[in-house]
Amino acid sequence: MTAALDEPRATARRAPLTRLLRSELRMVLRRPRTLIGLALLALVPVVAGIGIAIATGSSSGESVGDGLASLVEGNGLLLPIFGLTMSMTMLLPLTGAMLAADALAGEAANGTLRGLLVAPVGRARLLAVKAFGVAAVSLFAVLLMAATGIVAGLLLLGGDGMLTSSGTTLPFGAGLGRVLLTVVLVTVQVWALAAVALAVSAWTEHPLIVVVVSLGVVIVSGVLSVIPALDWLTPALITTSWEAIPEVVKDPLPTATLLTGVLRAGCYILIGYSIALSRMLTRDG
Amino acid sequence: MNRKRTALSVAAAGTATGVVGLVLLAAPAGADEAPPTLPEVSAEALVQSVLTSDVPALSGTVKVSSDLGLPVPGLPTGDEAVRVYTDGQGKARISMDQGRGEKTVIADGATTWLWNSADRSVVKYDSAAEHRADRSTEEKLADPAAVSLEFITAMRADSTVSVDGTAKVADRPAYQLVLTPKPTERTLLREVRIAVDSETRLPLRLEVLANGSAEPALSVGFTEFATGAQDAGLFTFTPPAGAKVTDGNAEAREHQPTEQQKKDFLATINPKVVGEGWDTVLVGTVPADLLKAEVSGKDADGRKAAGTPLDLLKQFGKPVSGPFGTGFVITTKVGTALVAEDGRVAVGAVPQQVLVDALGQK
Repeated sequence: MTAALDEPRATARRAPLTRLLRSELRMVLRRPRTLIGLALLALVPVVAGIGIAIATGSSSGESVGDGLASLVEGNGLLLPIFGLTMSMTMLLPLTGAMLAADALAGEAANGTLRGLLVAPVGRARLLAVKAFGVAAVSLFAVLLMAATGIVAGLLLLGGDGMLTSSGTTLPFGAGLGRVLLTVVLVTVQVWALAAVALAVSAWTEHPLIVVVVSLGVVIVSGVLSVIPALDWLTPALITTSWEAIPEVVKDPLPTATLLTGVLRAGCYILIGYSIALSRMLTRDG
Repeated sequence: MNRKRTALSVAAAGTATGVVGLVLLAAPAGADEAPPTLPEVSAEALVQSVLTSDVPALSGTVKVSSDLGLPVPGLPTGDEAVRVYTDGQGKARISMDQGRGEKTVIADGATTWLWNSADRSVVKYDSAAEHRADRSTEEKLADPAAVSLEFITAMRADSTVSVDGTAKVADRPAYQLVLTPKPTERTLLREVRIAVDSETRLPLRLEVLANGSAEPALSVGFTEFATGAQDAGLFTFTPPAGAKVTDGNAEAREHQPTEQQKKDFLATINPKVVGEGWDTVLVGTVPADLLKAEVSGKDADGRKAAGTPLDLLKQFGKPVSGPFGTGFVITTKVGTALVAEDGRVAVGAVPQQVLVDALGQK
């Protein structure tokens, strides 16, 4: 009755949405594998920062690596961006796939999905709650990585602004803005893969299959994108936008490229959730 | 049950929308668009307007792509995008991806800066004149205006210049200026097409088409083009803290060959131009010891490549013999190179026989 007082009358008959979302979040965050995964992800930028700090300390004047890595030295604000783009190749997609696998297929494997399907919650609503859980926790993981990256970068590597790959130096505030932009871009891409994984998750009862199929999608996309004869296919591949994320350190910002990446991810999100929805509606519990 | 059906159709519509979105992203922009209608213009007037046009303040993306049909595997196909900005008054900024780093050239009027993010180095050139001579061909290609102008002036004597309809380049209506070799020219090239912007009269795209292929062998052009005032901050550069700054002028002076060295070099090479127009052939001599010298290095894929240049020629070239002796010929879609075993070399955008004739003229 207390919950009903907080909600408008129209929705009072069903379980209030905020409570469902909160309980879903609590459940996802209470799983030990989620916590261990988050902790490991948070460590990625720290480990990368320590590695770069040691490498620059021992060999003076030598470039630490290629691409972004060569710019991170003495350029702490770039460390979260470096960590995020590095994790985008495998760790973050894996996290998204794991969360999506647990959301539906995991429940089905435990036998708890049946209970949820017969509960007085609409199936579309159930899917929305599950999708919210996946999206919120992946956003949290990316934010966590950015936070540990900023702290580790400023402590280990220093720097009071951000040196872009175009050779300009952004003030601290603008640099922080670029980190936040990276967080948004990376999160949207993780959501795209998680949406595809959720669609698979709705079709199977084995969480492992979801993870395997999602990684298969990533690897096959990567292979297809390097075959010259299939160049026409590249703009439609899910991994194409992932490769463009490091462009956030260019100055001026290549807005068009980044926007195309977000649109592409949006298409995958739409397809993934639509397929998941149609399966949830026709599923026999 | 009705709600379920509605939800299912929503899901189907969602899937379809997503797929259509991906198809649109993958579809080349303006592929099946009708060419724009523009007022008629004669070829002479068009060339004239191109020659007299000034570069306004603009920003754009230039794409260079080539399909030369080289028999050497592992060469990059060369699809590179270059961002260009200019304020129309001599200040410019060019940035391009190189490997996994970024190279930026900023000309702020008095100084030209070259930034390379891969090793955080800055090269500084003081006067614009000296810099121009130092620009690599790649950067020159990034400026389609200069490339096209060079072509038009050089080719007018031996080519038919005509306006062949219109096209849309970088979403702008453009005239297609076509240079076709006169029938007497013995060349591998079919035509050179230059798309000229109808408004600014700037060349927007240059395409070189070879005989026997519909796709251009070489294409340099804008994929994005917008005129308008540019942010002045784009044309200033301060070397970031911790970057290696070298004086490009001093370095160039150090490596400048002396007059005698230049003379010696020219004497060994002995360059000669045979023919004119489209069938111009450049004939020279490569020192025989250079041809037989052991070269070891890494090719584009990082594999170890070793052997003399002659070995490489034997591998990729086709043996050929004629009045000049014997040698090897390498054929691409746009040009042919012939290296005789005694070190004489002939290069041109011509079929093999023309090269054989040119070498025989000696």
